[in-house]
Amino acid sequence: MDEKIKQALIEIVGKENYTDSLIDMVSFSYDASEHSHRPACAVWPSDADQVAKILRLANSEKIPVIPRGAGTGLSGMAVPIKGGIILDLSHMNRIVKISIEDRLAVVKPGVVYVDLEKALEPFGFFFPPDPASGKVSTLGGNVATNAGGLKGAKYGTTRDYVLGLQVVLPDGRIMRTGSKAMKSVSGYDLTRLFVGSEGTLGVVTEITLKINPKPTATSTALATFDSLADAGNAINQIMHSGIIPSALEILGRETLAAINENTDLNLPEVDAMLLAETDGYTREETDYQIKKVIQVFEENNAREVKQARTDKEVEDLWAARKSAYAVLARIKTHFVLEDVTVPMTHIAELLKGVEEISRRHDIQIATFGHAGDGNLHPQILYDGYDQEQVRRMEAASADLFKLAIDLDGTLTGEHGIGLAKAPYMTLEHDPVAMDVMRHVKKMFDPNNILNPGKMGLEE
Amino acid sequence: MESKYEFEEKYREQILKCSRCGFCQAVCPVYGATLRPALNARGKMLLLKEVMDGKIGLDDQLIETLFQCTTCANCFHNCPSGVDVPEIIKAVRQDMVRAGSCHPAFEGMNEVLEKHTNIYAEDEPEDFERVRNRKAEYVYFIGCVGSYREDEPTMAALDLLDRLKVDYTLIDEVCCSGVLEDVGFSIKEHLAEKNMALILETGAGTVITGCPYCFRTFNDKLQYSRLREAGVKVVHITQFLQDFGFGVKTDKRVTYHDPCDLGRHCGIYEEPRNTIRKIATDFVEMPDNRENALCCGAGGGVRGAYAKNSIAMARRRLEQVEEVGAEIVLTECNSCVHNLANAKLRRQKFRVYSTTEFINELMEEAE
Ligand SMILES: Cc1cc2nc3c(=O)[nH]c(=O)nc-3n(C[C@H](O)[C@H](O)[C@H](O)COP(=O)(O)OP(=O)(O)OC[C@H]3O[C@@H](n4cnc5c(N)ncnc54)[C@H](O)[C@@H]3O)c2cc1C
Ligand code: SF4
Ligand code: SF4
Repeated sequence: MDEKIKQALIEIVGKENYTDSLIDMVSFSYDASEHSHRPACAVWPSDADQVAKILRLANSEKIPVIPRGAGTGLSGMAVPIKGGIILDLSHMNRIVKISIEDRLAVVKPGVVYVDLEKALEPFGFFFPPDPASGKVSTLGGNVATNAGGLKGAKYGTTRDYVLGLQVVLPDGRIMRTGSKAMKSVSGYDLTRLFVGSEGTLGVVTEITLKINPKPTATSTALATFDSLADAGNAINQIMHSGIIPSALEILGRETLAAINENTDLNLPEVDAMLLAETDGYTREETDYQIKKVIQVFEENNAREVKQARTDKEVEDLWAARKSAYAVLARIKTHFVLEDVTVPMTHIAELLKGVEEISRRHDIQIATFGHAGDGNLHPQILYDGYDQEQVRRMEAASADLFKLAIDLDGTLTGEHGIGLAKAPYMTLEHDPVAMDVMRHVKKMFDPNNILNPGKMGLEE
Repeated sequence: MESKYEFEEKYREQILKCSRCGFCQAVCPVYGATLRPALNARGKMLLLKEVMDGKIGLDDQLIETLFQCTTCANCFHNCPSGVDVPEIIKAVRQDMVRAGSCHPAFEGMNEVLEKHTNIYAEDEPEDFERVRNRKAEYVYFIGCVGSYREDEPTMAALDLLDRLKVDYTLIDEVCCSGVLEDVGFSIKEHLAEKNMALILETGAGTVITGCPYCFRTFNDKLQYSRLREAGVKVVHITQFLQDFGFGVKTDKRVTYHDPCDLGRHCGIYEEPRNTIRKIATDFVEMPDNRENALCCGAGGGVRGAYAKNSIAMARRRLEQVEEVGAEIVLTECNSCVHNLANAKLRRQKFRVYSTTEFINELMEEAE
């Protein structure tokens, strides 16, 4: 880093909050994807004013700035692919306010998801998106990636809860969007533009979130299906039944086999396993809902159906789903975790298609995911030091994206575009949409300093 | 591919299996105290991956993170990919020392144990007013921290054993030197030999250790296998005490801090709790307990080498003591007692004890 700029940064954040030492540069080169690139330096700002000063400096010197939360992104979104300054927001981690009466929480971007959850618990409230990375990922990161989770089908994603933001623009101006009111149609919806923008338009420095009362009762059931078609029909019919489960998860054959090979859970090796949870405030209510779900399972030739009666049984039913990621993560030295998403009527086709792609490219792909909102996680397992396997993995990914789009779906339901899916943006978005996105980026960030090289915005 | 370092031979696969998920960030005490990702388990694994790829060298620049790990194993316990970070770190430190890169504090510790019998280079052993090296049923092995830094808890533990009429002896013990293996060096054979000879001379069938680390060293390390061959059992005092009744009770609110060396590393969670429940009517758990317990920050040589961060880690643990409103925090490791007590702020009114010291105090008061 240029000595003059280094001194200017140190002036802004203080010596202890600036680093260009090797150990930091290596750790800031990565996120949870397979991408990496070294930054030139990193800073830990403590408030929006410091962020504004840093951006003003970077903008005039035309140096890339990459906002970073916990670095758990799965698409290389926080990887400084063009070098520059890492803006680690984890020190801005204060919960500013919780107002149950106004049904909102105001937080700084570095607050970790689980810390807000813990703070809301005594009030019986929660912030529903619940990403599986919630113990580590930051709310700023959740907003910038529009994170979702298990409960997406019933409760939506981060987007549905962001009422307003404070954002620092690339030129250093500080802007407030949205309102603290529960609803607002005042002007363009700038808030939503920033949700899911992957740090390419502005740096989120404060978030106002809508919060929900937390249901106190749940019921859980599990079913296995010999045929994918039956499982697919069951998923569709549940929606017809008028019940929206709080979770509806699916595990594919390959995943079940992998779990069996690596644990003693002894699962039936069927085409699909579905796990449903309903929630509410009394057991009668949630049991009523789960009975309807079970009825649908049975009508669609489920081989076996189980309902949990005790906490222990609930835990047992979830065991397979909960172990899936860790089991698959241990099989090969490398994997990519995709998150293609399709309309629910196409889930069975998507699963079948994934199996075909796996066979065609001779590469192991195990699938699990959120059947309730059409979001699947095919996990492609390979050895990253074997160029031939890398090539097959890439070819399989490309086919997977194409399949999702052919099924009226999307490249990514929750993990974002970043670097990994940037080459496929034009597969999903028509030239007009791409043109508009590029113009939006140019308007906010004419010098392309904020998280450059992401989302396929550069032609 | 021929590997340049020994750690690669053993741990290459595991290091590559780190998927960079970052889950360890939620539990790593060093990260928690510093919010610096390079010091987290993931940061450490990424550096080692780049070392294996030949992108960076295993040199002095890496000392700050690779020698700043308490080996608490909380990352390993929570790692979806099963990466045994503390064991990897220990192996890497050996390679670093061989390559001439080591934190000066540990070089110093190794040198001290060349010349002296304990890590503090104290020449006058505390005699704890007891006859040493006599024939007895049990040997009580104190450990360096208990001998030279936390002598009050040690005196209390001995008083308690007397009250319980246990036939034990102290020996002219020397440092078990297990810690050297964690910080890049090896156990000193001559120290191990001396301890074993003294223990065997007493004719004792069981060694009771006051220190969970000595307990692990005696039980697990090759250099101490002669004890096992001679049929001498080694137990930690918490295991020994659980069969006793004490006839005293406190109504103060008590909580328990699981030392990493006893908990995550040995799976000993219930024995101390069984004992504490006998004497405390109001026993509460901290939010992170048993296998999820937050490290006190003293282990892996971190207290010596990175004192400020070590204290910061202890403060985070003490916040949990406050959170549950405990008046007494008990633990089973003198290193934990030492670090937690040092980190305690004046406004924090609770007290930190080893379980034995607390029980002894209750019995003393009752007399
Ligand atoms: C095991 C595992 C499970 C996961 N499960 C889920 C899941 O269930 N659902 C899901 O949605 N995701 C999931 N993810 C992906 C990831 O956790 C989410 O994308 C998360 O929201 C990222 O948060 P972060 O704090 O780690 O952000 P980072 O990875 O640090 O950053 C992500 C992006 O956000 C930008 N950014 C971060 N903070 C700000 C800010 N304050 N202002 C502007 N831009 C910012 C960065 O520039 C980057 O582009 C998972 C990841 C892993 C490893
Ligand atoms: S939890 Fe394990 S796999 Fe995940 S980053 Fe940490 S060491 Fe790597
Ligand atoms: S062993 Fe403990 S201190 Fe070391 S990296 Fe793992 S969690 Fe951090």
